[in-house]
Amino acid sequence: MAVLYVLIPLALLLAGAGVLAFRWAVRSGQFDDVETPALRMLMDNEDMLIDGERMLINDERIRPGNDLASRRPS
Amino acid sequence: MNRTVDDIAPMAPPASFPMEGHEAVPVVGEGDRSSGARSGGAALHLDAPLAPETPCVHCGLPVGPRPVLGAAEGDSLPLAFCCTGCRVVYEALGAAGFGETYYRLRGVAASTRALSSLGGRPAESDALQLAELDTEAFLGQHTTEVGESLRRTQLFLDGVHCAACVWLVERLPFEIDGVAEAVLDLPRARLTLTFDPEEVQLSEVGRWLARFGYAARPMRVQTAGRRTEAERTLLVRLGVAWALAGNVMLLAFAFYAGLDADADATMATFARWVSLALAVPAVAYGGAPFFRRAWASVRLAWRARDPRRLHIDTPIALGIGVGTLHSAWATVTGQGEVWFDSITVLIAALLTARWLQLRSRRLAGDASERLLSLLPSMVRRVSATGETVVARLDELARGETVEVPAGEVVPVDGAVTRGTSQLNNAVLTGESRPVPVVPGDAVEAGATNLRAPLHVRVEATGTATRVGRLLKWVRDEEGRKARVVLLADRLSGYFALSVLSLAALTAVAWSLLAAPSVAAQHVVALLVITCPCAIGMATPLAMAVAAGRAARRGIFLKSDAATQRLTEADTVVLDKTGTLTEGRMTLVETVPADGVDADAALDLAAVLEADVVHPIATALVAARGCPVQSAATFEAEAGQGVRGLVDGHAVVVGKPSWVWAQSARAPAPLTAAIERFAQAGHTPVAVALDGQPAAVCAIGDRLRDDAPAVLRALEAAGLTIHLCSGDHPAAVAAVARTLGIPAERAHGGVAPEAKRAALEALQAEGRVVVMVGDGVNDAAALRAADVGVAVGGGSTASLVAADVFLTRPGLAPLAEAFAGTARTLGVVRRNLGISLVYNVGGAAAAMLGLVTPLVAAVAMPVSSLLVVASSILQRSFPSDPGNGGAGEPAHAASSTSRLAAS
Repeated sequence: MAVLYVLIPLALLLAGAGVLAFRWAVRSGQFDDVETPALRMLMDNEDMLIDGERMLINDERIRPGNDLASRRPS
Repeated sequence: MNRTVDDIAPMAPPASFPMEGHEAVPVVGEGDRSSGARSGGAALHLDAPLAPETPCVHCGLPVGPRPVLGAAEGDSLPLAFCCTGCRVVYEALGAAGFGETYYRLRGVAASTRALSSLGGRPAESDALQLAELDTEAFLGQHTTEVGESLRRTQLFLDGVHCAACVWLVERLPFEIDGVAEAVLDLPRARLTLTFDPEEVQLSEVGRWLARFGYAARPMRVQTAGRRTEAERTLLVRLGVAWALAGNVMLLAFAFYAGLDADADATMATFARWVSLALAVPAVAYGGAPFFRRAWASVRLAWRARDPRRLHIDTPIALGIGVGTLHSAWATVTGQGEVWFDSITVLIAALLTARWLQLRSRRLAGDASERLLSLLPSMVRRVSATGETVVARLDELARGETVEVPAGEVVPVDGAVTRGTSQLNNAVLTGESRPVPVVPGDAVEAGATNLRAPLHVRVEATGTATRVGRLLKWVRDEEGRKARVVLLADRLSGYFALSVLSLAALTAVAWSLLAAPSVAAQHVVALLVITCPCAIGMATPLAMAVAAGRAARRGIFLKSDAATQRLTEADTVVLDKTGTLTEGRMTLVETVPADGVDADAALDLAAVLEADVVHPIATALVAARGCPVQSAATFEAEAGQGVRGLVDGHAVVVGKPSWVWAQSARAPAPLTAAIERFAQAGHTPVAVALDGQPAAVCAIGDRLRDDAPAVLRALEAAGLTIHLCSGDHPAAVAAVARTLGIPAERAHGGVAPEAKRAALEALQAEGRVVVMVGDGVNDAAALRAADVGVAVGGGSTASLVAADVFLTRPGLAPLAEAFAGTARTLGVVRRNLGISLVYNVGGAAAAMLGLVTPLVAAVAMPVSSLLVVASSILQRSFPSDPGNGGAGEPAHAASSTSRLAAS
C-alpha cells in the first residue's frame, strides 16, 4: 500500500497537466466555435501544391490526360 | 505563386457545372428574353413559363414568377436564378474555377443555425463600408498586432450559410497576397483575418468576398469580445472544478470502501489531507461566483429588510461554506466526517448549468450587434468645389452637404438640396409606400434612397438624428427595465428561511438528546444535503435547452426573464406594416369583367407598366412576371395612369375614374369591387382593353398568409390582441376588420413615441404586454413592453431593442414562441417539483440523523441527474412541430456528453 503515497501525488500531477492543457485550449479559442471545424474536415485535400503552385483539385490542368496530372501526388 | 484579385480573370468560361440536385432547369423558349423582346415588338411567348417554385441554381430558393436566366451554353438550356445577385455569384465562381467544389460541398452540410437570415442568397456589399475598412481609425481601433508586421481583425460576414462558404472564405490566403490566415466562425458569421497591412488593404479583401456574395462589415461593438472572454473564463473554472471534484471523489471511494483510522491510520489521514488540499481550491476558485452572488443578495435582502429577496445562491453558498469548514475542522482534528466529495461535485455541476446557460444565449447577443454594424458610419461629403470625397460620419459638421447615391442609406438628418428621387422610409415609419422627395424636403437618417442621387444638407448626425436618439434611448433604458423575478428566485427566499429554521430545530433537538458535537454533525449533514443543487440547476438547464432548440427554429430568446414573461403575458400589441403584412406593395386581388381572361388582361397591362417608375406599377409587373413584349405606343399621364398599344390592343391602365372616362361604362361588379378595395385600404387600379372595361385589381400591402391563423391561436390562448400602427387609421381599421379585431383595439396614425405611451397606458392597467413589431419606429415600444418581439427576418435595428426576435419570415414563429415558452415553464416547474421532493426527503432524513457522507454522495447527484434528464427530454420547441421532439436527439446527446465528459 505504501506505493499509493507515490501514485496519488503522481496522479494529481497528471491531472494538473491535463487542467493546464485544457486551460491553454480554452484560452486559444478552441472551444469558441465547435460547429465550423466539423465542416472543415469535409474540405481537406481540396487544395494541393504542385510544383510549388497551389491548385484546386478540380483544376483543369491536373485533369487526367493533362501533362500535370502525371505529377499529381497520390 | 499566389494569385491576386486581378489575376482571377476568366480562366474558364462561365460553365454550367454538373451538380447533383441542381441540374439545369428546362426552360422553354430560347435566347435572351429581354433583348429579344424589346427589339421590334415581335411577340415572343413562352410556351410554358418556368414554374415559380423551380429552385434557383445558386441558392436553391424558389425562383419566383420572374426568374433571371443565365446564358445558355451550346445546346444546353439556360439556367434559372432567383435574382441577378445569384447569377453574378454563380458566374464569378465559375470564372474563378471554384464552382464544382463549391456546389459539391454545399450539398454536404448546411448550417441552419447560421446568423445570416438571407438563406443562400448573396448579400449586398456597401462600397462605403468597404472604404471604412481602410481608414487609419479602423486599423487603429479594431485591429490588434500579431507578430512582426501582421495585424488581426474580426469582421461580420453577411451571406455565409454552409460548408461551401467556409471553404470559399478560407481560401483567402491562397488568393490574395498579404492575407496570412482567414478563419470563419460559421454560426456567428464572424471572420477572423490575419493580414499584412503593408501588402494588402482590407477593402481589397472585402471586394474579393463581395464577388462571391459575402458582405464584410466592420464590427463596431466590443461587447462580443467581452462575452467571449466571460465564456472562456467560466469554461476554465468549470474544467478545474471537475478535475478537482473527480480526484476528491476518487479518494472518497476509498473511505466508502472501508478505509478508516482502524484499517490504516496513516493512509486515512493522508487521504483526508489530500482531499482537503484539493477541496480548498475547488471551493475558493470554483465556488467564488456563488459566494459573490450570495453576499450581494444578503446585502440586498438586509437593506430591504425582506428575507424573500435572498437569491438561490444564498443557501448554496451556506451549504458549501458550512460543509467545507466542518470537513476542514474534521480533517485537522481527525474527528468527525468529511463531505469534500459532495461539495466539490456540487460546485462543478452548478458551474456546468451556468455555462450551458451562457452558451445558449450567445447567438441572440451576436445578432443584435451585427445590426449595429449595418448603420452607415462613412459618408460621401460634397466639398465646396463640388467634388465628392468619402469621409467619416463623425467628421461631418452641420451645414455641409453629402451625396446619397441610389441604393444607399441616408446617413444624416437633413434637407434635400439637389435631385429628385424616392425614399423608402419603412425602417423609420413603417410606411411601405416610397415617398417622393424634391429639393427642400426633409430626409431622415435610415431611409433608403431608391431612384436617383440626392444631395442632402446636414442638420444632424449620429446620436442627434431621430434613429440615433431612439437607439441611444434603447441603450439607456437597458438598466431601467424592471427585473423579472424568476420562478426559482421566488422560491429561494422561503427555501433559505425554512432550511435555517430546520437547522436551528435540529441543533436544539439533538443537543437535548445527545452531545452538542452530535448535534453539530447532524446540522452540517442537513445543510449539505439540502444544498439546493437541483433547484439551482432547474431553471438554467431547462431554459438553456429550450433556448438552443428555439434558435434552431429561428426564435431567439435573449434572456430567461423574457422566456418567463412571455408565458405571463395577457395582451399582445401588434404593429401592422411588416408585422401583420408583408411590408411591400403587391397585387392582392383581381376582378375581371365578364368574359375577360384576367391574367391575359394583366399581362398586357404589365407590358405598359414595365417602364413606369411607380410602386403600383412595380407591384403589377412583379405579379405577372417580366413582360416579353413591348408597347408599340406609350403615353403616361402623371397621377392618373398610362395608355398605349400592345399586341394590337389599345390598353389603358390607371385610376379607375380616369380609365372609365376613356372606355365604355364600367359594369356594376367592377364598380362594386373598387368600392370594396377602397374600404379594405387597398389602391384600386383599372384596366381597359380596346375601349372596354376589362378588369380592376387591388394593389396593397398584403396580409401575411398565416396572420389570421396565428391571431386565432393567440386569442385561443387567452391573449387580448391590439393593433397599433403608424399607418392611416382607415387602413388599420380595414386590417382589423379582416382579422376580426374590435375597432376600439385598432389604433392607426400612432407616432413611434406615442406607441410607447400607449403601451405604458396598458401596463398601467396592470396588463403584461407583449409588443410585436419591426423597424426603428417600434424600438421604443419594444423596449417599453414587458416583452418586445421583433419580427421580419431580422434585418432592422429593432432587434437591438427586442427581448425575443424571430428570424423566420411570417408570423407562425410567434405562435410557436408562445407555445414553446409555456412548455418550457412547465419543465421548469417540473424540475422545481423534483428538487423540492428531494429536499424535503433529505431534510427529514438529516434531522433524524440518517444522513452520512455516503448517503449524500449518492442522493445529491441522483437528484441533479433527474433534473438534467427532465430538462433534456423536454419537447418545448420541437424541430418539426408535427413530429413531437423526435428530430432532436443531437442536442440532447451533446448536452449529456458535455456533462459527462467534463
